[in-house]
Amino acid sequence: MKPDALRGHLDALLLATLDGRQLHGYAIIEALQQGSGGVLDLPTGTVYPALRRLERAGHVSSDWSTVGGRQRRTYRLTSSGQRALSAERSAWREFTSVIDGVLGGGKWKQV
Amino acid sequence: MEAGVIDRYVADLDGRLRGPRAAKDDLLTETRDSLVDAVEAHLESGLSSSAAERRAIEEFGPVGTIARAYQAELAVSAGTRTLVTIAVVLPLMHVMWELNRWFFIGAWDPHMDAPPAWYLWLAKVNDMTGIVAAGVAFAALLVGRYLCRGRTHSATMGKLASGLALCSVAAVMTGQVAIMAATWHVDVRMLLLSPPVTIASAISLVILIWLGVLARRCLSCATIVR
Repeated sequence: MKPDALRGHLDALLLATLDGRQLHGYAIIEALQQGSGGVLDLPTGTVYPALRRLERAGHVSSDWSTVGGRQRRTYRLTSSGQRALSAERSAWREFTSVIDGVLGGGKWKQV
Repeated sequence: MEAGVIDRYVADLDGRLRGPRAAKDDLLTETRDSLVDAVEAHLESGLSSSAAERRAIEEFGPVGTIARAYQAELAVSAGTRTLVTIAVVLPLMHVMWELNRWFFIGAWDPHMDAPPAWYLWLAKVNDMTGIVAAGVAFAALLVGRYLCRGRTHSATMGKLASGLALCSVAAVMTGQVAIMAATWHVDVRMLLLSPPVTIASAISLVILIWLGVLARRCLSCATIVR
Protein backbone atom coordinates (compact mmCIF):
# COMPACT_ATOMS: atom_id res chain seq x y z
CA MET A 1 0.00 0.00 0.00
CA LYS A 2 1.47 3.34 -1.09
CA PRO A 3 2.06 6.37 1.20
CA ASP A 4 -0.66 8.43 -0.57
CA ALA A 5 -3.30 5.90 0.44
CA LEU A 6 -2.16 6.16 4.06
CA ARG A 7 -2.20 9.96 4.22
CA GLY A 8 -4.71 10.98 6.86
CA HIS A 9 -4.68 7.56 8.52
CA LEU A 10 -1.15 7.52 9.92
CA ASP A 11 -2.12 9.15 13.22
CA ALA A 12 -4.89 6.58 13.79
CA LEU A 13 -2.56 3.71 12.87
CA LEU A 14 0.04 4.94 15.35
CA LEU A 15 -2.56 5.30 18.11
CA ALA A 16 -3.77 1.75 17.42
CA THR A 17 -0.19 0.43 17.45
CA LEU A 18 0.41 1.96 20.88
CA ASP A 19 -2.88 0.69 22.30
CA GLY A 20 -2.09 -1.07 25.60
CA ARG A 21 1.68 -0.98 25.23
CA GLN A 22 4.75 1.22 25.41
CA LEU A 23 7.11 1.13 22.41
CA HIS A 24 10.15 2.97 21.05
CA GLY A 25 10.20 4.38 17.52
CA TYR A 26 11.61 1.44 15.60
CA ALA A 27 9.45 -1.04 17.54
CA ILE A 28 6.40 1.03 16.46
CA ILE A 29 7.54 0.82 12.83
CA GLU A 30 8.05 -2.96 13.12
CA ALA A 31 4.66 -3.39 14.79
CA LEU A 32 2.98 -1.35 12.03
CA GLN A 33 4.62 -3.48 9.33
CA GLN A 34 3.83 -6.75 11.11
CA GLY A 35 0.25 -5.63 11.79
CA SER A 36 -0.27 -4.98 8.09
CA GLY A 37 1.40 -8.20 7.01
CA GLY A 38 4.21 -6.13 5.47
CA VAL A 39 1.80 -4.35 3.11
CA LEU A 40 2.23 -0.83 4.57
CA ASP A 41 4.88 0.93 2.53
CA LEU A 42 5.50 4.36 3.98
CA PRO A 43 8.88 6.03 4.53
CA THR A 44 9.62 5.02 8.12
CA GLY A 45 11.10 8.47 8.77
CA THR A 46 7.61 10.00 8.57
CA VAL A 47 6.63 8.15 11.76
CA TYR A 48 8.73 10.41 14.02
CA PRO A 49 7.18 13.77 13.07
CA ALA A 50 3.76 12.09 13.36
CA LEU A 51 4.63 10.91 16.88
CA ARG A 52 5.70 14.47 17.78
CA ARG A 53 2.39 15.79 16.43
CA LEU A 54 0.46 13.26 18.54
CA GLU A 55 2.52 14.18 21.57
CA ARG A 56 1.80 17.87 21.04
CA ALA A 57 -1.90 17.07 20.81
CA GLY A 58 -1.63 15.28 24.17
CA HIS A 59 -2.58 11.88 22.68
CA VAL A 60 0.84 10.33 23.33
CA SER A 61 3.49 10.85 25.98
CA SER A 62 7.15 9.91 25.75
CA ASP A 63 10.15 9.30 27.99
CA TRP A 64 13.78 8.50 27.39
CA SER A 65 14.60 5.10 28.88
CA THR A 66 17.17 2.34 28.43
CA VAL A 67 15.92 -0.42 26.12
CA GLY A 68 18.28 -3.17 24.93
CA GLY A 69 21.24 -1.32 26.44
CA ARG A 70 20.56 1.90 24.51
CA GLN A 71 18.82 5.14 25.43
CA ARG A 72 15.56 5.29 23.52
CA ARG A 73 12.53 7.46 23.46
CA THR A 74 9.51 5.30 24.29
CA TYR A 75 5.91 6.29 23.60
CA ARG A 76 2.60 5.41 25.25
CA LEU A 77 -1.03 6.42 24.83
CA THR A 78 -2.50 8.96 27.22
CA SER A 79 -6.17 8.89 28.26
CA SER A 80 -6.82 11.56 25.61
CA GLY A 81 -5.10 9.31 23.05
CA GLN A 82 -7.27 6.40 24.15
CA ARG A 83 -10.40 8.50 23.55
CA ALA A 84 -9.06 9.69 20.17
CA LEU A 85 -8.40 6.06 19.19
CA SER A 86 -11.97 5.04 20.12
CA ALA A 87 -13.31 7.93 18.02
CA GLU A 88 -11.06 6.98 15.08
CA ARG A 89 -12.23 3.35 15.29
CA SER A 90 -15.91 4.37 15.32
CA ALA A 91 -15.38 6.75 12.39
CA TRP A 92 -13.52 4.04 10.46
CA ARG A 93 -16.29 1.45 11.03
CA GLU A 94 -18.88 3.93 9.86
CA PHE A 95 -16.80 4.87 6.81
CA THR A 96 -16.12 1.26 5.74
CA SER A 97 -19.76 0.34 6.28
CA VAL A 98 -20.92 3.19 4.00
CA ILE A 99 -18.30 2.51 1.31
CA ASP A 100 -18.94 -1.24 1.46
CA GLY A 101 -22.65 -0.56 1.06
CA VAL A 102 -21.95 1.18 -2.25
CA LEU A 103 -18.90 -0.61 -3.64
CA GLY A 104 -19.29 -4.03 -2.11
CA GLY A 105 -22.93 -4.68 -2.99
CA GLY A 106 -24.01 -4.35 0.66
CA LYS A 107 -27.40 -3.47 2.11
CA TRP A 108 -27.68 -0.03 0.42
CA LYS A 109 -27.29 -1.50 -3.06
CA GLN A 110 -30.33 -3.73 -2.54
CA VAL A 111 -32.62 -0.88 -1.43
CA MET B 1 29.00 -2.16 11.78
CA GLU B 2 29.97 0.66 9.43
CA ALA B 3 28.37 3.91 10.35
CA GLY B 4 29.45 5.90 7.29
CA VAL B 5 26.20 5.80 5.30
CA ILE B 6 24.07 6.48 8.36
CA ASP B 7 26.38 9.28 9.51
CA ARG B 8 26.16 10.93 6.10
CA TYR B 9 22.37 10.65 6.03
CA VAL B 10 22.02 12.13 9.54
CA ALA B 11 24.56 14.88 8.74
CA ASP B 12 22.65 15.73 5.53
CA LEU B 13 19.39 15.89 7.50
CA ASP B 14 21.05 17.99 10.20
CA GLY B 15 22.29 20.47 7.59
CA ARG B 16 18.78 20.96 6.17
CA LEU B 17 17.05 21.60 9.51
CA ARG B 18 16.63 24.86 11.45
CA GLY B 19 15.09 25.10 14.88
CA PRO B 20 15.55 24.83 18.65
CA ARG B 21 18.74 22.86 19.35
CA ALA B 22 17.19 20.44 21.89
CA ALA B 23 14.21 19.55 19.67
CA LYS B 24 16.48 19.10 16.66
CA ASP B 25 18.96 16.93 18.60
CA ASP B 26 16.07 14.76 19.85
CA LEU B 27 14.83 14.15 16.32
CA LEU B 28 18.33 13.42 14.99
CA THR B 29 19.11 11.04 17.88
CA GLU B 30 15.89 9.14 17.20
CA THR B 31 16.70 9.05 13.49
CA ARG B 32 20.14 7.59 14.10
CA ASP B 33 18.73 5.03 16.61
CA SER B 34 16.02 4.02 14.17
CA LEU B 35 18.51 3.57 11.32
CA VAL B 36 20.86 1.53 13.53
CA ASP B 37 17.90 -0.65 14.62
CA ALA B 38 16.87 -1.15 10.99
CA VAL B 39 20.42 -2.10 9.97
CA GLU B 40 20.59 -4.64 12.82
CA ALA B 41 17.24 -6.13 11.77
CA HIS B 42 18.40 -6.45 8.14
CA LEU B 43 21.73 -7.98 9.21
CA GLU B 44 19.78 -10.59 11.21
CA SER B 45 17.72 -11.34 8.13
CA GLY B 46 20.94 -12.21 6.26
CA LEU B 47 21.81 -9.04 4.31
CA SER B 48 25.42 -7.90 4.06
CA SER B 49 26.48 -4.85 6.06
CA SER B 50 26.41 -2.44 3.10
CA ALA B 51 23.13 -3.84 1.75
CA ALA B 52 21.55 -3.57 5.23
CA GLU B 53 22.58 0.08 5.49
CA ARG B 54 21.30 0.89 2.01
CA ARG B 55 17.98 -0.82 2.75
CA ALA B 56 17.64 1.03 6.07
CA ILE B 57 18.21 4.40 4.37
CA GLU B 58 15.78 3.55 1.53
CA GLU B 59 13.08 2.54 3.99
CA PHE B 60 13.58 5.67 6.08
CA GLY B 61 12.80 7.84 3.06
CA PRO B 62 14.44 10.45 0.79
CA VAL B 63 16.27 12.99 2.94
CA GLY B 64 14.41 15.93 1.31
CA THR B 65 10.99 14.45 2.11
CA ILE B 66 11.95 13.60 5.68
CA ALA B 67 13.58 17.02 6.20
CA ARG B 68 10.33 18.77 5.18
CA ALA B 69 8.30 16.74 7.69
CA TYR B 70 10.88 17.30 10.46
CA GLN B 71 11.19 21.01 9.67
CA ALA B 72 7.44 21.49 10.05
CA GLU B 73 7.69 20.02 13.59
CA LEU B 74 10.71 22.20 14.41
CA ALA B 75 8.81 25.27 13.19
CA VAL B 76 5.96 24.48 15.61
CA SER B 77 8.48 23.91 18.38
CA ALA B 78 10.20 27.26 17.67
CA GLY B 79 6.84 29.04 17.44
CA THR B 80 5.64 27.58 20.74
CA ARG B 81 8.89 28.51 22.49
CA THR B 82 8.73 32.09 21.20
CA LEU B 83 5.07 32.50 22.18
CA VAL B 84 5.77 31.12 25.69
CA THR B 85 8.69 33.55 26.02
CA ILE B 86 6.50 36.49 24.93
CA ALA B 87 3.68 35.43 27.31
CA VAL B 88 6.11 35.31 30.26
CA VAL B 89 8.67 38.06 29.55
CA LEU B 90 6.38 40.95 28.54
CA PRO B 91 4.31 40.89 31.76
CA LEU B 92 7.59 40.74 33.74
CA MET B 93 8.83 43.77 31.81
CA HIS B 94 5.56 45.54 32.67
CA VAL B 95 6.06 44.69 36.38
CA MET B 96 9.62 46.04 36.20
CA TRP B 97 8.33 49.37 34.86
CA GLU B 98 5.53 49.54 37.44
CA LEU B 99 8.06 48.99 40.26
CA ASN B 100 10.28 51.62 38.69
CA ARG B 101 7.41 54.09 38.58
CA TRP B 102 6.51 53.22 42.18
CA PHE B 103 9.98 53.53 43.68
CA PHE B 104 11.97 55.87 41.42
CA ILE B 105 9.75 57.99 39.21
CA GLY B 106 6.87 58.82 41.55
CA ALA B 107 4.43 61.66 40.94
CA TRP B 108 4.88 64.16 38.13
CA ASP B 109 7.58 66.74 38.92
CA PRO B 110 5.75 70.06 39.52
CA HIS B 111 8.80 71.95 38.15
CA MET B 112 8.33 70.30 34.78
CA ASP B 113 5.59 71.28 32.35
CA ALA B 114 2.62 68.87 32.42
CA PRO B 115 2.78 66.62 29.35
CA PRO B 116 0.21 67.10 26.60
CA ALA B 117 -2.87 64.86 26.53
CA TRP B 118 -1.68 63.00 23.42
CA TYR B 119 1.50 62.04 25.27
CA LEU B 120 -0.44 60.59 28.21
CA TRP B 121 -2.65 58.69 25.77
CA LEU B 122 0.42 57.31 23.96
CA ALA B 123 1.99 56.27 27.31
CA LYS B 124 -1.21 54.43 28.26
CA VAL B 125 -1.40 52.66 24.87
CA ASN B 126 2.27 51.69 25.16
CA ASP B 127 1.64 50.28 28.67
CA MET B 128 -1.23 48.20 27.34
CA THR B 129 0.57 46.94 24.21
CA GLY B 130 2.89 44.63 26.15
CA ILE B 131 0.06 43.15 28.19
CA VAL B 132 -2.15 42.70 25.12
CA ALA B 133 0.74 41.08 23.18
CA ALA B 134 1.36 38.69 26.10
CA GLY B 135 -2.37 37.89 26.24
CA VAL B 136 -2.47 37.25 22.49
CA ALA B 137 0.56 34.92 22.78
CA PHE B 138 -1.09 33.03 25.66
CA ALA B 139 -4.38 32.74 23.73
CA ALA B 140 -2.47 31.56 20.64
CA LEU B 141 -0.87 28.78 22.71
CA LEU B 142 -4.33 27.62 23.85
CA VAL B 143 -5.78 27.80 20.33
CA GLY B 144 -2.70 25.99 18.98
CA ARG B 145 -3.27 23.20 21.48
CA TYR B 146 -6.84 22.88 20.19
CA LEU B 147 -5.82 23.09 16.50
CA CYS B 148 -3.19 20.38 16.76
CA ARG B 149 -5.88 17.95 17.92
CA GLY B 150 -7.58 18.50 14.57
CA ARG B 151 -6.08 18.04 11.15
CA THR B 152 -4.21 21.35 11.00
CA HIS B 153 -0.90 20.75 9.25
CA SER B 154 2.23 21.36 11.34
CA ALA B 155 3.70 23.66 8.66
CA THR B 156 0.59 25.89 8.87
CA MET B 157 0.76 25.89 12.67
CA GLY B 158 4.42 26.92 12.55
CA LYS B 159 3.68 29.78 10.14
CA LEU B 160 0.75 31.01 12.24
CA ALA B 161 2.78 30.91 15.47
CA SER B 162 5.79 32.67 13.98
CA GLY B 163 3.66 35.31 12.25
CA LEU B 164 1.83 36.05 15.47
CA ALA B 165 5.09 36.18 17.45
CA LEU B 166 6.64 38.58 14.95
CA CYS B 167 3.52 40.85 14.96
CA SER B 168 3.45 40.90 18.77
CA VAL B 169 7.12 41.83 19.06
CA ALA B 170 6.78 44.44 16.28
CA ALA B 171 3.81 46.04 18.07
CA VAL B 172 5.68 46.24 21.37
CA MET B 173 8.84 47.58 19.70
CA THR B 174 6.83 50.21 17.82
CA GLY B 175 5.20 51.27 21.11
CA GLN B 176 8.59 51.56 22.84
CA VAL B 177 10.18 53.54 20.00
CA ALA B 178 7.10 55.81 19.79
CA ILE B 179 7.10 56.59 23.51
CA MET B 180 10.85 57.27 23.51
CA ALA B 181 10.56 59.58 20.52
CA ALA B 182 7.56 61.32 22.09
CA THR B 183 9.42 61.75 25.40
CA TRP B 184 12.38 63.20 23.54
CA HIS B 185 10.01 65.64 21.84
CA VAL B 186 8.11 66.61 25.04
CA ASP B 187 11.00 66.89 27.51
CA VAL B 188 14.33 65.20 26.86
CA ARG B 189 15.23 65.35 30.60
CA MET B 190 12.59 62.68 31.28
CA LEU B 191 14.64 60.13 29.32
CA LEU B 192 17.41 60.39 31.91
CA LEU B 193 15.38 60.71 35.10
CA SER B 194 17.59 58.50 37.25
CA PRO B 195 20.04 55.57 36.92
CA PRO B 196 17.32 52.95 37.77
CA VAL B 197 15.09 54.31 34.99
CA THR B 198 17.99 54.34 32.55
CA ILE B 199 18.87 50.76 33.54
CA ALA B 200 15.21 49.69 33.09
CA SER B 201 15.20 51.33 29.64
CA ALA B 202 18.39 49.47 28.71
CA ILE B 203 16.97 46.15 29.99
CA SER B 204 13.74 46.73 28.03
CA LEU B 205 15.75 47.43 24.88
CA VAL B 206 17.83 44.25 25.31
CA ILE B 207 14.66 42.18 25.96
CA LEU B 208 12.93 43.58 22.88
CA ILE B 209 15.96 42.94 20.66
CA TRP B 210 16.16 39.38 22.04
CA LEU B 211 12.43 38.79 21.39
CA GLY B 212 12.86 40.26 17.90
CA VAL B 213 15.71 37.82 17.18
CA LEU B 214 13.63 34.89 18.52
CA ALA B 215 10.63 35.87 16.39
CA ARG B 216 12.82 36.32 13.29
CA ARG B 217 14.44 32.89 13.81
CA CYS B 218 11.03 31.38 14.38
CA LEU B 219 9.76 32.85 11.09
CA SER B 220 12.84 31.56 9.31
CA CYS B 221 12.12 28.03 10.69
CA ALA B 222 8.54 28.23 9.42
CA THR B 223 9.23 29.69 5.99
CA ILE B 224 11.90 27.20 4.92
CA VAL B 225 9.21 24.47 5.16
CA ARG B 226 8.19 23.76 1.56
